[in-house]
Amino acid sequence: MAMEYGQGYGLDVPERHRLPAGLRAPFEARHWRELIYVLIGLPISIVLFTYSVTMVSLGAGLLVTFLGIPVMAAGLAGCRGFGALERARARGLLDLEVADPEPLRIRKQGFLAWMGAVLKSGASWRALLYSVLHLPWATFSFTVAVTFWSIGWGLLTYPLWFWLFPLYGGQDGMQLYGDETHSVYLDNAFEITVTALVGLLFTLATPWIVRALTTVDRLLVHGLLGPSRLATRVVELESDRGVVVDTAAADLRRIERDLHDGAQARLVALAMDLGLAKEKLAEDPQAAARMVDEAHGEVKIALQELRDLARGIHPAVLTDRGLDAALSSVASRCTVPVEVQVDLDERPVPAIEGIAYFTVSELLQNISKHSRATWAAVDVWRVENRLMLQVVDNGVGGADTTAGSGLAGLTERLDAVDGILVVDSPVGGPTRITAELPWRTV
Amino acid sequence: MTERQPSSHRATRAAGAAPYDEEEPLPPARFAYDRHTWKEILHLLLNLPVSLFGFTYVVTLLSVGAGLTVTVVGFPLLALGLMGARQLGKLERRRARRLLGVRVDEPSPLRLRGSRNGFFPQLWLLLKDPVGWRTVLYEFIRLPWGILTFTVTLASLFVLWPVLPFLARGMANLDRAMVRGLLSPSDDLERRIAELESDRGVVVDTAAADLRRIERDLHDGAQARLVNLAMGLGLAKEKLLEDPEYAAAMVEEAHGEVKLALQELRDLARGIHPAVLTDRGLDAALSSVASRCTVPVKVTVDLDERPAAAIEGIAYFTVSELLQNVSKHSMARSASVDVWRANDRLLLQVWDDGRGGARLDGGTGMQGLAERLGAVDGLFVIDSPEGGPTTVTAELPWRDRVPERG
Amino acid sequence: MRVVIAEDSVLLREGLTRLLTDRGHEVVAGVGDGEALIKTITELDAQGSLPDVVVADVRMPPTHTDEGVRAAVQLRKAHPGLGVLVLSQYVEERYATELLAGSSRGVGYLLKDRVAEVREFVDAVVRVAQGGTALDPEVVAQLLGRSRKQDVLAGLTPREREVLGLMAEGRTNSAIARQLVVSDGAVEKHVSNIFLKLGLSQSDGDHRRVLAVLTYLNS
Repeated sequence: MAMEYGQGYGLDVPERHRLPAGLRAPFEARHWRELIYVLIGLPISIVLFTYSVTMVSLGAGLLVTFLGIPVMAAGLAGCRGFGALERARARGLLDLEVADPEPLRIRKQGFLAWMGAVLKSGASWRALLYSVLHLPWATFSFTVAVTFWSIGWGLLTYPLWFWLFPLYGGQDGMQLYGDETHSVYLDNAFEITVTALVGLLFTLATPWIVRALTTVDRLLVHGLLGPSRLATRVVELESDRGVVVDTAAADLRRIERDLHDGAQARLVALAMDLGLAKEKLAEDPQAAARMVDEAHGEVKIALQELRDLARGIHPAVLTDRGLDAALSSVASRCTVPVEVQVDLDERPVPAIEGIAYFTVSELLQNISKHSRATWAAVDVWRVENRLMLQVVDNGVGGADTTAGSGLAGLTERLDAVDGILVVDSPVGGPTRITAELPWRTV
Repeated sequence: MTERQPSSHRATRAAGAAPYDEEEPLPPARFAYDRHTWKEILHLLLNLPVSLFGFTYVVTLLSVGAGLTVTVVGFPLLALGLMGARQLGKLERRRARRLLGVRVDEPSPLRLRGSRNGFFPQLWLLLKDPVGWRTVLYEFIRLPWGILTFTVTLASLFVLWPVLPFLARGMANLDRAMVRGLLSPSDDLERRIAELESDRGVVVDTAAADLRRIERDLHDGAQARLVNLAMGLGLAKEKLLEDPEYAAAMVEEAHGEVKLALQELRDLARGIHPAVLTDRGLDAALSSVASRCTVPVKVTVDLDERPAAAIEGIAYFTVSELLQNVSKHSMARSASVDVWRANDRLLLQVWDDGRGGARLDGGTGMQGLAERLGAVDGLFVIDSPEGGPTTVTAELPWRDRVPERG
Repeated sequence: MRVVIAEDSVLLREGLTRLLTDRGHEVVAGVGDGEALIKTITELDAQGSLPDVVVADVRMPPTHTDEGVRAAVQLRKAHPGLGVLVLSQYVEERYATELLAGSSRGVGYLLKDRVAEVREFVDAVVRVAQGGTALDPEVVAQLLGRSRKQDVLAGLTPREREVLGLMAEGRTNSAIARQLVVSDGAVEKHVSNIFLKLGLSQSDGDHRRVLAVLTYLNS
């Protein structure tokens, strides 16, 4: 949220303006858009308030006769519609992106089902709350904005008025104070200058005040017209589940491909060699011996490949002995000496153990390949209901999780099970990567 | 938005019932009075006393509670009253279940013994209980309705009895709508979150279990065979020149062995993910499964485009497991597989003319299938009367195919 | 030499039996899981006819996990004179460490692939039966990679590292000489250089030498 608010403050504009931001503000498009937002906010919120309060109180009054329910539903549906309008207005004028709230969950076709869904949806009621709360605020901010703006520009342009209408009202200048005995008019050069300066102050202050006013609007729109925390979580979980399903399917396809390109291809060659050897055995024992020799070499490589594949699928030692043994084994295969420290009293469920294992093993591979480290350490421990992994190396650093890197894929995988991957890797090193997984036991 | 989002637990429970509704469909209203009609009439007559009590309760509660909120005692009173309203709602749900056949899930109980202990947080929790307030609303609007239904039903029993079944059905339907609308749980999202979290767990666990199974299969199958083969070849190599007869036998044996190993690897690969599915999609892959089935199977795949790879995989394995069941248990003479798309769902149907009697808990892997499908918001429905035929329908969410990375 | 084989794959059990019989050894019994192995050995011991060596698979029923390793460790404790050779589709330094705990006398841990080289494999079985050591090159590589004495190991010449590896596998000087196609004297020189650089005292007896090297790598 903070980022959304920060957008367009001029911070992200690299070119330098000749005027400082304070002087520029009153003329910026952004200020005008915000001002328009506040100005049209009042009429809109009056309509909204009148509509929703009428419909809902009418509905509530009629509840005893049942007619109230459809009226109420219509009122709430109207509030939702207005909510969409308000989100669009905020998007257009305030650059505020608020996602649509959770859609109605209609289980069946028909008016009754629709009515039930509207009445049950939290988003409807929040939209109603918005329409009620927004009127007093819109009135206040309209008044403040209009007052400041008109006073500012009015006083700033006072010299102009003074020059254009010197005899307005039969007096020289504007009356600042007056009763029967004496009056004060702004009519000499000093007073005119001071007035104009006061006007300038007001004019310069207005953008900031309008901005402060719209901040409250932003909060209202964001809090009441956006998706609720729960709905966001539902969306997140649905996407997580998709990621998990997809990666599982992709894993299987990869294994199938590896089998096909590796062991299967090699076995076909082997079968061929042996077939030839069989034919030649009687007529040309020397050639046959060579074939058998080749086949023998072939089968040893096939075994090696299958073993590597099996390890990549799921290392047996992980199932048998858990993370400590499995990670020591990965570490011993790393080109860099790795210290492994696993501090767990019990074993998590196989799925979490598997993810933890593959995370560390991928991180260690990265270290072997890219880090140019001479030393690394793996720590695994548990904090309440989280399984923590930390991999540290003294390499060149500069690892990041930008799209396309191996770390991005890892982040996505962990994210899908409510895990976290934090990379701390300044250029020049050292690199410290911490991962967190939910702890589950059988 | 008319997307249905059936929950997985419902999906597994739905065996033998109509796919989308767990309630038994009511027979159409008729002139004759049947069991349903009498129940509805009873319900409508009961409406008056029940709603009279409910109305009195909530009006008293609201006026006393609201009136006393000026003093501090009002709030706890109101909270107690709302707890009572919850109980009223429970009774009403039970009455509707018995007499109207409406099945509404019980709302989740308030978690008073949660992490936030202390009197005031609990009071606040009770006061903002949406279930309680909706029950209050329900009871509040019920009195006029109760009077109306009671009068009309009683009068019709004497005067309009031929049309009473229709009248009763109409009024009872409104009752059903009210129960569903106001007495159902209000924590849909929480439930959906819990369901999704468990789904995700199921998917992660089955994926991990799949990998372990594949590793096991490799170890026990192809790897063991290759070790033996390597040994045979090692022997043959040594003896080739000194004992050609023996060596020839070894080579012969190794040759047989390598062919078996290849066969095993091929089967394993097909069990992991058949290449033809990746390359050609469901139609080709299912035809290939069907051709290996012991029963003649007619496969009809009616899809304009291919779904996402993961969905395709699940669909393939579902059908292939169902066909295996047909081969093993059904004693069918013919079977058919249909795959088609309806809006945003992918539908699979496997039919056979076997002896029927398939059940979710029959230990034939149906339970596992239902779980796997449920975990991706799929549905699994078995219709298999004793004596057959068996129709198994599965539904999966349709997702469009995205080009694979890399 | 009298051998007991524990291997759940019937195919492999028969293959091993044939291979060993072919080389003139006697296969006393073949069993399919860890419990049966321990039972058989106990029975044979009671009859006073303990075999010379046990060849055991790691993954066997009923749990299909590390049955074989656990049975092997148990047997080594109960029958110190018995040679135990563990065969597996995969080697893990963790299992090697468990098998070697205490003594490297009459113990072996090899990848199943090694049966492809029939002569070397049978040699390894015989070596274990006679109280020697047979460690798979893969295990040794893992132990070398895992060792914290990297800076000392880096001080060895490539040839010396090779010899160190072969020593850790449990080979005798003459076997090492055969393998590297050099003279026995050259090997002896390498060995004494290695011991000097690692700061170990020369010990007589091949299996004690293995233990010294392994302890050094593991510490």
